Amino acid sequence: MEFPFKKIGLAITFSPTGKSLLLEAKRLQQLFNSELFLFHIGEKNEEKEAALLQLIADSGLPPNSFKLDWGSGKPAKAIIKKAKEYSLDLLIAGALEKETMINYYIGSVARKLMRKAPCSLLIHTIRPGGLSKFNKFCVSVDFTSENEKMIQLAYQFALLENAKEFVLIREFKVLGLTSTVYETGSAQGTEKVRLEIQKEEEEKTKLYVKELQLKNISVETVCLYGKEGWEANKYIRENGGDIFVHLAPKHSLKFVDRLFQHDLEFIVKELPCSLLLIKLSNEDKS
Amino acid sequence: MKMSVADITFFLIGISVMLLFARIFGELARSVKQPIIVGEILAGIILGPTLLGLFWPEVFQNLFRQSENVGIAFEGLTTIAVVMLLLVSGLEVDLSVVLKQSRTAISTSLMGLVVPFFIGFSMGYFFPDLLGIADHSQKLVFALFIGVALSITALPVVAKTLMDLNLLKTEIGTVIIASAMVDDLIGWIIFSIILGMMGTANHGFGFETTFLLAFAFISFMLIFGRKIFNYVLPTIQNKLSFPGGVINFILISGFLSAAFTEYIGIHAIFGAFITGIAIGDSVHLKQHTREIIHQFITNIFAPLFFVSIGLRVNFIAHFDIVIVAVFLLLAFAGKVIGCGLGAYLGGLKRWDSLAVGFGMNSRGAMEIILGILAFDAGIIEEKVFVALVIMALVTSITSAPLIGFALRYKRKEKLITLIDPKLIIFSTATDKKTLISELAQKVSEIIKIDKEIIISEVLKREEIMPTGIANSLALPHAKINISKPVVAIALLKNEIDFDAIDGIPSRIVVLLLTPQNDNELQLKLLSEIAKTFGDKKRVDELLKDFSPDSIFSNLQKL
Repeated sequence: MEFPFKKIGLAITFSPTGKSLLLEAKRLQQLFNSELFLFHIGEKNEEKEAALLQLIADSGLPPNSFKLDWGSGKPAKAIIKKAKEYSLDLLIAGALEKETMINYYIGSVARKLMRKAPCSLLIHTIRPGGLSKFNKFCVSVDFTSENEKMIQLAYQFALLENAKEFVLIREFKVLGLTSTVYETGSAQGTEKVRLEIQKEEEEKTKLYVKELQLKNISVETVCLYGKEGWEANKYIRENGGDIFVHLAPKHSLKFVDRLFQHDLEFIVKELPCSLLLIKLSNEDKS
Repeated sequence: MKMSVADITFFLIGISVMLLFARIFGELARSVKQPIIVGEILAGIILGPTLLGLFWPEVFQNLFRQSENVGIAFEGLTTIAVVMLLLVSGLEVDLSVVLKQSRTAISTSLMGLVVPFFIGFSMGYFFPDLLGIADHSQKLVFALFIGVALSITALPVVAKTLMDLNLLKTEIGTVIIASAMVDDLIGWIIFSIILGMMGTANHGFGFETTFLLAFAFISFMLIFGRKIFNYVLPTIQNKLSFPGGVINFILISGFLSAAFTEYIGIHAIFGAFITGIAIGDSVHLKQHTREIIHQFITNIFAPLFFVSIGLRVNFIAHFDIVIVAVFLLLAFAGKVIGCGLGAYLGGLKRWDSLAVGFGMNSRGAMEIILGILAFDAGIIEEKVFVALVIMALVTSITSAPLIGFALRYKRKEKLITLIDPKLIIFSTATDKKTLISELAQKVSEIIKIDKEIIISEVLKREEIMPTGIANSLALPHAKINISKPVVAIALLKNEIDFDAIDGIPSRIVVLLLTPQNDNELQLKLLSEIAKTFGDKKRVDELLKDFSPDSIFSNLQKL
């Protein structure tokens, strides 16, 4: 199967993480055998251009292996514009693991990209010691057809990476279940129902994985009860994970989504590892 | 003023009697599959002026009206009870889920609020006498109240109804619960505004000041309060004794907020409800803690509160058939039409939307709480309160059967109802391809699906991975372009190898076809089939009896 990330893009910055991200873009370009588009958002002048070319040269990218462009305006908006212009399949961005309260409400560039990117997005957490390949993939499960396609993509990616582990995480919550304590008369009664639902969910997840035929990698399934996003985040923090793969939000997330946080917002607030948000093309969806 | 020994003695006996009757009648209600609240209200009616007070007035007087002090003590107790009830109701409100549910939940909750409110307000404003208005100078407040009363939904009752119908985790269940949460939140906000308009106990604040203070309180709690609670809860849970420390913290926060909202004139319960939402939103509040709080409050304080309802009013003397009928009609019309339409516009199918309407129609505890507060505030009189209680009970009792009626077609998505005697064959095939072709032929004759599509899709799936399970069972399956799932069963004379895990060739082959885009349904049915045929003994018995007459009934017994 040819990997669908044919065009990948990276907005280069002169920040300390800039070079690490360039190296990662180079690695992924080779892994996916794709075209690489680099752009810098800021005023173009000779001095900056020279510094930029030096940074690229330092990363070891051959001169003809990428296309370089400049953009202007607010970073997130300008990057999104470039992604659309080049019809990118994957956009790479760097992010800090933890956001400040101000960033949380105002929005960092990575967060803005997450909400509005027109293509798949890889948010890299920059850890001490730099970047390395993804050995442990954590992938969200929601049983939809789109999710099935996303898992297949993540699986192909994991195979290309020669990853060691592939963990499928199913998070679920039964809304209103605790309220039934009043009618059942006991917390035990409700807990029993919750455990039955948990068991059912585990069985379904196992069957789902069986149907997906993920044969060439060690696959583990995990069913977590609680708030979606938060539980996966907690699990990855406690059990480790190099990349978390999730479907990109169907609609642009707004301020109100941050106010009443749910799934992806929990993940981005405190990234447990790098995050890959897959946006399926209309062709993939059908 | 101090309570005498007799006061204390009768007060404690009164509480014991209330709890005893609540338990007996609650359990009776539960045994006949009715909401517990029905039994608790009935217990109150029996203990109150309606029956006990009518036939043994001295006993009633001694138990519950011993002295003014006892009356005040009971009032204090029921106030604490209702504050706690609203606090736990708030804990379960998860507004983020509503956002995630997006279109369906939002349109259902909005329509479920706007339509009943509009109907209730219009009737209350233009035909107030029909609804039993007492004071025409308060027509606007009365109309607003009727609008709110018709908009509310009771979460605990509806959640239990959905759990019993095995719908709690379905799309319909989630839409109902999410919409009920929104309607309750907005309903209580409007009600607090009404209380503010009444200006009964707002310590001299004008309506505008009360309104602004209430708005500031909601905004603070939902924006910053949530973050603060989320920040401090892990420390409380880790450093203090568990779960005592966290329960204490929740109650302290709830009571303080309740005191604040009572002070500004919008009733204590509102503060408790909003604080419940703010605390319940925390990802650190453990499921176990939530359940313990619910257990503690709903087993002690809820029964006391609901029994006390019956103690306050004579339900026979104030029963007005016209008002009751009008309330019932408006309640059903408002919620079923409003929510049903909302769910339909939100993308649900027609019958599913109707089920959402019936589910949202369940008023239960919330309506009764709203009613008693309005009664205490002088917005309504006894006969309207009685009508509201009856409406709450009738809508709660009828909710489950009506949802069941609307979703009767859903039962067809269970294995037991999917087994069709016309789709059971006895085959002499000796290989997989012939057998699947025979099954496909049978399905195409009955269901009118192209045989070749079935064969091609099933074999394609079979090629990727064989579907032999264990216990002589094989489960070939595929997702194709159909609207309902189909199950066809072949009982084989000759064994066929489907590469089962236990190495035993198959003699029972269940072909499962499910709609293309419904992964979850396919998984549910696959899991159900594997579980049904999981008992080796029973499967062996089934294989012993291959007569066409008995096979269908034997399959249904599995």
